[in-house]
Amino acid sequence: MQELFNDILNTDGVTGIMLFDINGELLFKEFSNAVNELPEQRDWRFFLDSLEGMRETDLVFEKGRIYIRKTEIGYLMVLMALYVPIAMIRLNCDILLPTLQPSKSGRKFGRLFKK
Amino acid sequence: MIKNVLLVDDDTEMLHALKEGFKRYQESFAVLLAEDGLQALEVLKQNIISLVVTDLKMPNMDGFELLAHIMQHYPDIPVIIITGYSTPEMEQLAREGGAVGYIAKPFLIENLSRQILTTLRKESEGGTLHNISSGMFLQLIEMEQKTCTIRLEEKAGGKKGILFFRDGELLDARINNMQGESAAHKIFSWDAVNLSIQNGCALKENKIQSDLQPLILEAMRRKDEEHPEVVPEGVMEQIESGPEEPTDRLNRLKAKIEKEIGQQCGLEDLYQDAFWDNRVTQLSKIGAFFQLGKFMLAYIDKGDKNDYILIPGPKTTVVSVDPRCPRDKILRVISE
Repeated sequence: MQELFNDILNTDGVTGIMLFDINGELLFKEFSNAVNELPEQRDWRFFLDSLEGMRETDLVFEKGRIYIRKTEIGYLMVLMALYVPIAMIRLNCDILLPTLQPSKSGRKFGRLFKK
Repeated sequence: MIKNVLLVDDDTEMLHALKEGFKRYQESFAVLLAEDGLQALEVLKQNIISLVVTDLKMPNMDGFELLAHIMQHYPDIPVIIITGYSTPEMEQLAREGGAVGYIAKPFLIENLSRQILTTLRKESEGGTLHNISSGMFLQLIEMEQKTCTIRLEEKAGGKKGILFFRDGELLDARINNMQGESAAHKIFSWDAVNLSIQNGCALKENKIQSDLQPLILEAMRRKDEEHPEVVPEGVMEQIESGPEEPTDRLNRLKAKIEKEIGQQCGLEDLYQDAFWDNRVTQLSKIGAFFQLGKFMLAYIDKGDKNDYILIPGPKTTVVSVDPRCPRDKILRVISE
């Protein structure tokens, strides 16, 4: 499954990726640096609710950037350094999106991916 | 994308031993051979080469002459020197001539392999994209106004090409022995490509005078003529509260964006809107979780005619922009 995200994760400056379903459940995560708190222990619902109606959200902070993309199954979140060209990440998400579709056959994590 | 590495040495046994030894890296790079500088020039004309490893002492055309030729005609191709007659002066000369590496014989193949792989990795430091249309990378270049070297491989035929960009302007293109606009037309006619982006552009001279869009249209026209049935794939500050009036701050920001980016900034409107305040508060919280520091701004695409840049403050400032605006540039200008 990580293979799906390799082009994004291998981009210089990308430090992590998370995939959430529409209910805020964390489906996949990969970080190149350690994170202070475990993302799966956080309640993401309030945050994801604030993304309602947004197709793409690009958050710029003092020390990094978070790109969030709405997908058919939920939200894909990419953490990166400030210097990463966002168009590159967007294009890679464009390519990735068709593979992130809900499966009719099951609700299990692995089956969310059409591949 | 499998990259091509050209090995040049008049010692054929050495060449074949290296080729054999590099078989374990065949998923990373392919090896092409030449026995002297002149043969190497022919290989360079016929192939897209990512790296040249050359001996210095060779008949017909020696390694220094080859290095000089590559620096003049293929400045994007890194060169590693291997030599059995190594002196500190020779190494200095090779490095001053543009060589990125210098290895004295005898050497361990692992050392050369490591240097090759490290050098090749730089080719895709800016990222890779798979199975995209050429129109998509046009979007990338135009939006980012990038200075970069893009290596492309056509999915269908495996043809390879290179594009050189400076500040979003196409300087040159190359496929085998074809250069300039004709090479650009060929590349832009490819339907689906894999590409890797290297930050920076070794080329200084502008060999293409046309803008990107007319080049692509011309490439499509030529392709339609060749294959009429083929339909080309669609191209596809923080505002601190201060003593000045909000309108003054907004006007100042507007003037700054227009001055630094120019007409292509895509600025449509600039206003303050409390509607966004709660959302901005929620969005800013995630930064604390990942220890990213102060929240500077957000770029929102809702699928509307315009996109929105939100700048936190006592009341959220909204910059409405054309979705085709140079996003990174405008965000950088606002956050500075």
